[in-house]
Amino acid sequence: MGDVTLEHVTKRYEDVTAVDDMNLAINDGEFICLVGPSGCGKSTTMEMIAGLTMPTEGEVFIGGREVTNLPPKDRGIAMVFQNIALFPHMDVYDNISFGLRLRKYDKEEIDRRVERASDIVQLEGMLDRMPDEMSGGQRQRVAIARAIVRNPEVFLMDEPLANLDAKLRVHMRTELQRLHKELDTTIIYVTHDQAEAMTMSDRIAVIDSGQLQQIDPPLVCYNEPANLFVAGFIGSPSMNFVDGEVTEAGFHGKNVEVDFDPADVGVSPGDDVTLGVRPEDVYTEDEQAGIAHPTKRIEATTDVLEPMGDEIFVYLLLSEDATTSMDDASEGMSDQLLMSVDPDSSITEDQDVSVVLDRAKLHLFDTETGEAIQHGIATTTTTSTDSSTPAESDD
Amino acid sequence: MPHSIFRRLVSLGSDGDGDANDANEVRTDGGTATATGEGTTRSDQSDRSLLDSEFVRSLPFWLPPALLMGLFVYGAIGWNAVISLTEWSGFGSPDYGDLDFSMYEQMLGDPTFVVAARNTVVLLVVFTVLSLAVGLLLAILVDRDIRYENTLRTIYLLPMSLSFVVTAIFWAWMYNPEIGLINVVLRGVGLDFLANDWISDPSTKLGAVIFALMWQFSGYCMVVYLAGLRAIPNDQFEAARIDGASTLRMYRRVIIPQLRASTMSAAVVLMVFALKAFDFLFVLFGDTPGPSTDILATMMFREAFSSSNWAYGAAIATVLFLLALVVIGPYLYVQYQRGDL
Repeated sequence: MGDVTLEHVTKRYEDVTAVDDMNLAINDGEFICLVGPSGCGKSTTMEMIAGLTMPTEGEVFIGGREVTNLPPKDRGIAMVFQNIALFPHMDVYDNISFGLRLRKYDKEEIDRRVERASDIVQLEGMLDRMPDEMSGGQRQRVAIARAIVRNPEVFLMDEPLANLDAKLRVHMRTELQRLHKELDTTIIYVTHDQAEAMTMSDRIAVIDSGQLQQIDPPLVCYNEPANLFVAGFIGSPSMNFVDGEVTEAGFHGKNVEVDFDPADVGVSPGDDVTLGVRPEDVYTEDEQAGIAHPTKRIEATTDVLEPMGDEIFVYLLLSEDATTSMDDASEGMSDQLLMSVDPDSSITEDQDVSVVLDRAKLHLFDTETGEAIQHGIATTTTTSTDSSTPAESDD
Repeated sequence: MPHSIFRRLVSLGSDGDGDANDANEVRTDGGTATATGEGTTRSDQSDRSLLDSEFVRSLPFWLPPALLMGLFVYGAIGWNAVISLTEWSGFGSPDYGDLDFSMYEQMLGDPTFVVAARNTVVLLVVFTVLSLAVGLLLAILVDRDIRYENTLRTIYLLPMSLSFVVTAIFWAWMYNPEIGLINVVLRGVGLDFLANDWISDPSTKLGAVIFALMWQFSGYCMVVYLAGLRAIPNDQFEAARIDGASTLRMYRRVIIPQLRASTMSAAVVLMVFALKAFDFLFVLFGDTPGPSTDILATMMFREAFSSSNWAYGAAIATVLFLLALVVIGPYLYVQYQRGDL
């Protein structure tokens, strides 16, 4: 059984806390991504599962067994490393069979397992090659085969695709998903790339400053982020945030206003809140027919266009004195709004437009704590019967 | 005047650029080979082409050192080889009219030479292996994230920076049978029977020399190995641990095999040094270390400068030179094959 549980796991180095009271329950056979910015503690978390780092406090269970102080080899895990970490002086066969040979398996068993593993990752006929004669993708396959032969209960992958070029990375993503389907083993995958996490995993564990922010299926993280950090981290380009205040009439930001009854969403007038909206939920006036509950119109000027082929990202300036300087980012981007429009839209740069937001896709966060208050703000006339759920229910 | 020099330099530089551009254009437009392209652009300026050619322009950079090296290093080696073919000894000048290999024949029948050659090989092998082993051990220990790592590294490397004359005198004191630190310590801990006249007793003499040299050189080996260890990504250690290798096995099967390049370059330096370990022995023993420690380098000096057997000394020098080539040859060959030369 490959279920993994972390209970109150903390890792402190001399003056930094890398992982802070982490509780994580990973089910058998699950593909889970630990995702977060560099230095958030995701790799440390994985090293503690692997046994390469010992937690300062807390306990680690694998398959129901407490393994907190066991060495890596006794944990039933296999690991794929970011730098691939093939042994350069051994050929592919020796690399794959290294762990088995250390455990004194007999020759036939080793041969059988190596053959099966190299079949799975499609390395037939390459067993006698040296690592430096292979391409990056092939080497990564060898590294995965090296993990497979051990028949682990849990695969640990520490940014295994980070050193591959973009095209190969996308290809290997699919391969890994296929592998997961075939092996049906728990995979814990560390990445800083939210796109990788979104595409591959059953659930995403978003980590920031050593703390678990949210663990949910990718689309839940995307549609109902638990807090400002998750909202900003998941999704590319990032969600728009507008800082504002709750009034009797609803949300009042510098350039954006949304009317609702504060009681309906559980806030009271005077609260500092941040409104979040994804670029694809911002519509121009022409497109607004498609949405049921638009907000009031927002006047804006287009700034820069970024055509992506399947969509165009439009940077909108909301007020007259708005500047494009990056200083605005720190002020919750109150003056800017990123909008995604249809590629055949006739929108041009420096054009005055009116845009609306899709009320069903608005997110309201507590500015102070960052916690999500409400996902989807219904109009005052309809009762909140839509699928919005407060994020607190995740806990 | 400086101005005109400057302009000529500029025009030289831009000329070079222009050539490169021309060559490229010819290739892209007409598909003509680069060499042809350069030929045509140059044909109307043949008077300048010789002075402008890369060969002539590169002369000032490599010719003077090449001449100096050729004369004083390779010329001297060649001259030495020629002298070894003469019968030159005592006062007077060598007679270049009668060249033969008689000195080399004499060598084979000379028991002193055989002993010296044997000692040289023993010193070469034992000293190199021991220094590498101790250096590797130190490097592995220092690499394990210990405290005061830099301080220790400096302490280990420091002997290397001392002159061999200094270390020879230093070890002569250490080995002194009466007041030397080694015997004093041995007596102090009750191991009197081990106390020995280390550098006089023929059975321990060579060993004592090798030990002292190892003391001086293992720090160097440590630094070379440490660089090699640092170049191995951390992942390799972790991958080996995940695969279940114990620390000992991890080093033996995964890490040490990857240090082959370090071993190779350190070994070459050590072996070449061992061949010419002359100064250390000369300071300890003068030009007659006795049969148990006599090596080719000391014998060469003795024959040439004490006995005035110039031709015989030159022949021994040639043998030493060939031994050095045997040591360096494989290294150069491997480097050449890897494309590093």
